[in-house]
Amino acid sequence: MRGRLAFGLVILAVAFVVIAGLYYEGVLQIAVSDPHAAHHTTHAILFAVLAVASLIAANFAREKTV
Amino acid sequence: MTFPQALFMGLLQGATELFPVSSLGHSVIIPSLLHWRFKQSDPTFVPFLVLLHLGTAGALLVLYRKQWIAIIRGFFTAAVRGRITTEPERLAMLLLTGTIPAGILGVFLENRIKSLFASPYVAAGFLVINGFLLLGFELLRRRAERHASLDSKSRAEQEESFATAERISFRAAAVIGACQALAFLPGISRSGVTIGGGLLAGLRHQEAARFSFLLATPVILAAGLVEVPQLLATGVPLGEYVVAALLSGLAAYASARFLLRYFRSGRLDPYGWYCVPAGAVSLVLLTLRV
Repeated sequence: MRGRLAFGLVILAVAFVVIAGLYYEGVLQIAVSDPHAAHHTTHAILFAVLAVASLIAANFAREKTV
Repeated sequence: MTFPQALFMGLLQGATELFPVSSLGHSVIIPSLLHWRFKQSDPTFVPFLVLLHLGTAGALLVLYRKQWIAIIRGFFTAAVRGRITTEPERLAMLLLTGTIPAGILGVFLENRIKSLFASPYVAAGFLVINGFLLLGFELLRRRAERHASLDSKSRAEQEESFATAERISFRAAAVIGACQALAFLPGISRSGVTIGGGLLAGLRHQEAARFSFLLATPVILAAGLVEVPQLLATGVPLGEYVVAALLSGLAAYASARFLLRYFRSGRLDPYGWYCVPAGAVSLVLLTLRV
């Protein structure tokens, strides 16, 4: 069960990385203040942080051997 | 904006950012009462705000420098190990948990809410609400003290019966973090709602203030750093703004030191009793255009 949760969180982290990349490249325009900007750096940073947080949560959720 | 006005705004921002009286509300209301006309669309206005916030965040980093070193070390240790064993590690993860909802709401909502409500009238109205919120937090706290039969004890003993920041639950940390979104409304204080949230989560006043200040630092710092490139735009009087930011940092440092000492036994009520009439009087003065 814990392993499945950890795996899910890793998948979530990958999704966040992709979203961060799409925001940075200006492909995603959802809920941005300036749709004409080339990069949405703030949104990209937020999703990068969420990706890191998901990986940390996955590390907490995985089964420990010790 | 003239240089003396910039200095005044720096002092005002630094002093009110950490007091539970809303810096945004004051920086909207007071210039209007003084009939100062700042164009928020002016290309130098955002860099000015950025520097003031960096000044405040810098003051908090200096104040909590030893704790931040322990928190950052604890963060990496716990993240790699996948387990929390020490108090700094737990505090680091609590701060991460509290920062995530604040970050999400900040990125997606802050500009929309601020542009909707950035009027001195609205700010004065929300300042009154902020006052009632602070009084409400203390009302609930006194009820909790009565339930725990603490009303006959001294303030120091009462406070000792409550928890330190490291002991709150992760859910409470997330809720306190999300409460920061209320502060996008000019007049609602970020530190007020987070300290109040900390009190509801069972923290001592001083610990609620410490958690509030620690929680605010990464958000203020990140929001400022993202906008740093704007400082390099042409026409920005960087030297004057840096002096204002230093003043803001000094005021923030002094107010944080004062508040941490005050909250050893003090409560939120005086700030509530200040906000209610201050907001009401401002509303009257603004309406009468005095």
